[in-house]
Amino acid sequence: MNQAAAVKPAFPDSLSLAALAVAGLLCLPLAYVAYMALTANAAIWSRLWTTRIPELLFNTTALALGVAAGTLVLGVSLAWLVARREFPGRQIWEWALVLPLAIPTYVLAYIYSHLLGTGGPVESAWQVLAGPGSHLLSPHSYAGVTLVMTLDTFPFVYLLARAAFLNLNVSYEEVARACGVSRAGTLFRITLPLMRPAIVAGLSLVILYVVSDFGAVSLLRYQTLTYAVYQQITGRYDPTAASILSLLLVVVALIFLVAERWFRQRSRFFQTTGRYRAPARRQCGPLAATLATIYTTGVVAASFGIPACMLAMWSVSAVSSGAVDARFFGFVWNSAFLSGLAATCAVLIGLPLAYLASRRPSRVNLLCLQAAYAGYVLPGPVGALALLAIVSNLAPFWYGTAAVLVIAYVVHFLPAGLQSMEPALQQVTPNLEEASRSLGFGTAVTLRRVTLPLVRNGFIAAWVLMFLQSMKELPATLLLRPVGFDTLAVRVWLEASEEYYQLAAPSALLIVIMTIPAILLLLSKDWRAA
Amino acid sequence: MNQYHFHFSTIRLIWPSLLTAAALATALVVQPAAAEPDRLVVYSGRAERLIKPLLDSFQTNTGIQVDLLSSGTTEVVNRLHAEGERTPADLLITNDAGSLERARELGLLRPLTAPEIAAAIPSQFRAADNSWVGLSGRFWVVVYNTTLAKPSDLRSLLDLAEPRWKDRIAIPNAGSEYLQAGISVIKTVYGDDRTKRFLDGLKTNAGTQVYGKSSQIVEAVAKGQVALGVVNHYYVYRHLATQPGAPIAVLMPDQHEGGMGAIINVSGAGIVTHAKHVESAKRLMNYLVSEEGQKKFSDLNKEYPLHPLVAADPALPPYKTTRVAPVSLTQLGKLREPAMALIEQAGLR
Repeated sequence: MNQAAAVKPAFPDSLSLAALAVAGLLCLPLAYVAYMALTANAAIWSRLWTTRIPELLFNTTALALGVAAGTLVLGVSLAWLVARREFPGRQIWEWALVLPLAIPTYVLAYIYSHLLGTGGPVESAWQVLAGPGSHLLSPHSYAGVTLVMTLDTFPFVYLLARAAFLNLNVSYEEVARACGVSRAGTLFRITLPLMRPAIVAGLSLVILYVVSDFGAVSLLRYQTLTYAVYQQITGRYDPTAASILSLLLVVVALIFLVAERWFRQRSRFFQTTGRYRAPARRQCGPLAATLATIYTTGVVAASFGIPACMLAMWSVSAVSSGAVDARFFGFVWNSAFLSGLAATCAVLIGLPLAYLASRRPSRVNLLCLQAAYAGYVLPGPVGALALLAIVSNLAPFWYGTAAVLVIAYVVHFLPAGLQSMEPALQQVTPNLEEASRSLGFGTAVTLRRVTLPLVRNGFIAAWVLMFLQSMKELPATLLLRPVGFDTLAVRVWLEASEEYYQLAAPSALLIVIMTIPAILLLLSKDWRAA
Repeated sequence: MNQYHFHFSTIRLIWPSLLTAAALATALVVQPAAAEPDRLVVYSGRAERLIKPLLDSFQTNTGIQVDLLSSGTTEVVNRLHAEGERTPADLLITNDAGSLERARELGLLRPLTAPEIAAAIPSQFRAADNSWVGLSGRFWVVVYNTTLAKPSDLRSLLDLAEPRWKDRIAIPNAGSEYLQAGISVIKTVYGDDRTKRFLDGLKTNAGTQVYGKSSQIVEAVAKGQVALGVVNHYYVYRHLATQPGAPIAVLMPDQHEGGMGAIINVSGAGIVTHAKHVESAKRLMNYLVSEEGQKKFSDLNKEYPLHPLVAADPALPPYKTTRVAPVSLTQLGKLREPAMALIEQAGLR
């Protein structure tokens, strides 16, 4: 029977065809951008090369590397602290350090542009100390943007590094210590090198996030490729230059992605079996405990505590001035409706792809799954640019409807969802489905009573993840929203970009509040495992 | 087994596809229904807070519901163009005559014969066939921080390119329609070489101080981040209306004897060719050019009303004594592409 199941069907069945079609559609935006850019007039290419591209490439790469360096230091040091040292409040900080993930970059950016901006509280305080006319770092500078993005994304590195610190077999470290290597030497020569795969995975998440970010760079006016693409789309009648910059952006993202894959292949480590012992935490002395507390408190305050308090304060004054009205609840509904629809569609679309790749991993089926990951290297404005053109040519009656926006979300966030749907399906052995069939249950019953209950948690996690990301999505929403269909994210950006910070606060706070429980839910599984 | 797999997978396929189709259909339903009579869809390239109060008062007066899409001017024109005859839009409002003229050339706007409009708005502020009509006038001015600069520092917009202003000025980005219109005028008056040098100087002097919105430039000047900025006049007066003590003032450029004159532009509106609610759209148009509408507009935004019987805010420099650059608004459409080419060559952000 197994043999029979393994025989390849002579013709691809309808499911494979559907998967192929879906994968093709998911790749269409990428193909369109590449086509537009490569067939563009050479004069436009050369004009962009002599005027904009060097600056944009430099800015984008510099920001990505700067934030990578910042998150590396913050993420790994904090992970080491909470995984290897014991100090009062350690368990609270261990959780709290994840919270910055709940704050979208555009929210953190607007709060910091107030805090650090000219005449803001930090500068005023500094001028009391250092005399009038002195300036600290400007939020609208390379350093400012790097700071904001670092504070927002270090949890990616922190989470993976923390798991690695906890899962590492201490035997290696003990051997090093026994051979007379100092503690610091062991950390830098044994532990950290062993954690390289985890750290690189975290950094690559950070870099992709930074390269495709629109919210922070637009509010802080830092010119990156993503921001330039958006400006080209909104400020020009001709989309050619936008598609050229888009293609470059996709290539930059791909380079980082491929570099990460290559690096991971080269440095694959395996735990040797047996004798695994979890590392123990060393108790800190009073001085070290104080320093550790100051450090963790400082980071949590800067990345989450202070921003959340600012949002709460501003929201209170916005509410008392009547900014939260029926219109506001309309925005809430729009956000929930669009994100819910997108997450549902994405789960349904991802199901056949993930199913085929795990049950019938033929070359075509695996390729389909890989194709679905195209959205990863398709930052919001690029996806929107391609979809606008594709929809107006292929399905003009959809132009300007919510459907286009939902498609944009699906293309962009399906990869994130697949990452939790795929393992969920893979963990269910086909034998269970076959057993159910051999006991006389029909296909529908097997699906309902065996497969779906088993993959439910993974799929719920995928749904929640995609829902949240769609709710926070900004650039594609700005470009594709139908008439009268603003979302919370759009409102935050529109108000914040005119420096109406208080009016932006209620929407921003609501996004943060809705995100926190979901993040904790998603993490609790990994958390226990670690 | 293959058979089973086939059935199994077909069922797995059908449900997702059906549900997806249903979901997308729901998304489609959430569209402003096209046929409802008492409803208007307005595409606006102006900031929402500069136009919504006026639309709200129209809605209260007439009971016609107005749905607003507020976005960038070029963006909404692009959108209108792409949507063609399926567009839900009835009225287009933009912040720039050049974009309106461009929309007219693309056939997106509908010519109008309305005596109310001809009576209310002088002919230099609208298209010959009334396919677009100016609603409010604005000058492209220099805003300066009174503690960092003085009015005698600068006579012409072109002085902004001088090296002494390095890192001291803020400018709008290349996508800004006012900048594009302003450069169109400068190019017509001074020619290509002079304009190119101006753009290069502007780019060097502004450095990273390039903004997406005029309100941000005024804010930056008020905070003293930069000494000068180029903006539409009304952003300055709006700022002063909410923060009377702000250390900013307006310098009307190019007023000297033999000078080019200040660059004027209008915000305006036109009824969309494929509008579904033409009668309601005409009512809104008539309201916007009426004395009441013009008064509300100028009170709200501190722009110059175009209706001859409506007075501008007394705080504004009097329109009559201002020297105005000799380029007509209807030319701005044709001048746009060549001006854009210069801007792109200079590599402005």
